[in-house]
Amino acid sequence: MRSLFRIFPRTPAFVALLLLAPALTVRAQDPRIQLTHLDHLSARASETVDVSIDERLIQLAAKIFNEKDEDEAQIKKLVIGLKGIYVRSFEFENNNEYSAADVDTIKSQLREPTWTRLVNVTSKREGNVEVYISLVGSNINGLTVLSAEPKELTVVNIIGPVDLEKLAKLEGSLGIPNLGIKSSKKPKDDQ
Amino acid sequence: MKRTTTICITAVVLLSVVYATGSHAKGDDFDSVVKMIEQFYSVKHQSLPFLAKAGMKVAGAAAKVRGGELKRFAEAGSIKLATFEDQNFNGDFIAFRKSLNDAMSSTWMPLIQTLSATDAEQTYVFLREKGDKFNVLVVIIEQQDATVVQATVSARNVALLMKDPEQGAKAITREATIHDQE
Repeated sequence: MRSLFRIFPRTPAFVALLLLAPALTVRAQDPRIQLTHLDHLSARASETVDVSIDERLIQLAAKIFNEKDEDEAQIKKLVIGLKGIYVRSFEFENNNEYSAADVDTIKSQLREPTWTRLVNVTSKREGNVEVYISLVGSNINGLTVLSAEPKELTVVNIIGPVDLEKLAKLEGSLGIPNLGIKSSKKPKDDQ
Repeated sequence: MKRTTTICITAVVLLSVVYATGSHAKGDDFDSVVKMIEQFYSVKHQSLPFLAKAGMKVAGAAAKVRGGELKRFAEAGSIKLATFEDQNFNGDFIAFRKSLNDAMSSTWMPLIQTLSATDAEQTYVFLREKGDKFNVLVVIIEQQDATVVQATVSARNVALLMKDPEQGAKAITREATIHDQE
């Protein structure tokens, strides 16, 4: 072994990298973002909403929603495969109650290669709305909406296979606020 | 005779209220949450008979506690209710929220939490499975009042709660408290 290290002096570093790589990959692909950095805003916000629907609750929803009820049947179909829905929303009395640094605590987690920002997204919200998706291969495994309005900051983090269309259908249910998000890009010809 | 009958009826109603509340008062997270509120805000919760003296309708309270009007959301007889009235709930709600979440995290799933600095109102909804049913724990703290409700609900009603968690939590509390019946 010593002779191997002598022949290939970088072998220990390479071995360490090989050992660490799976852990780093798993971490890099985790689409759950930390929202606790925003907790301090509750003290300044006039209204704070915090929704946490983890995998157990989603499985529960998928199990108990009634297929005979049109609404519930739709939600049931949409939540199958999801692993979590997390929402933090802060409403403020005045402008500038949250800082760019607050927004950056979220944006800093939404970096490539895990996250890709979607362009061509519109929302009925006034401020800046950004939508990010997390991909594993060609499959979406997470979506995050960051809506920064002058008097409102909202972050929606959905874990699992979800796209804009699904998000639009889930708005108003399961604690997901009505963001009016849609793609401004016309869909390709129907197949 | 009439007076004796009235006393008997009142006694029966009061005893059933005491039984209904007392039977649930054995070591559970419900009690821990009530104690936590008492310690954090230096307040005391009131039992239902006490509230009755304060102008509430005892028969109505008994019916509610035993599931009479709660059948819409909660299973009959499954309600645990603690109320705090006319007390001061000024305090660091962020610190309270953290303590509550830390205490509940091992057995309960948080569903929704809302804080309103404007109205000084906090709402917390937790869920946990209980066989084929569910326990819902709702904590609502306002400026001068607070309510802690734990109820057993069917899977069907959990679905309704999850569809609109904020309104669902309010409905459970509305049904479990006395004031709204008036």
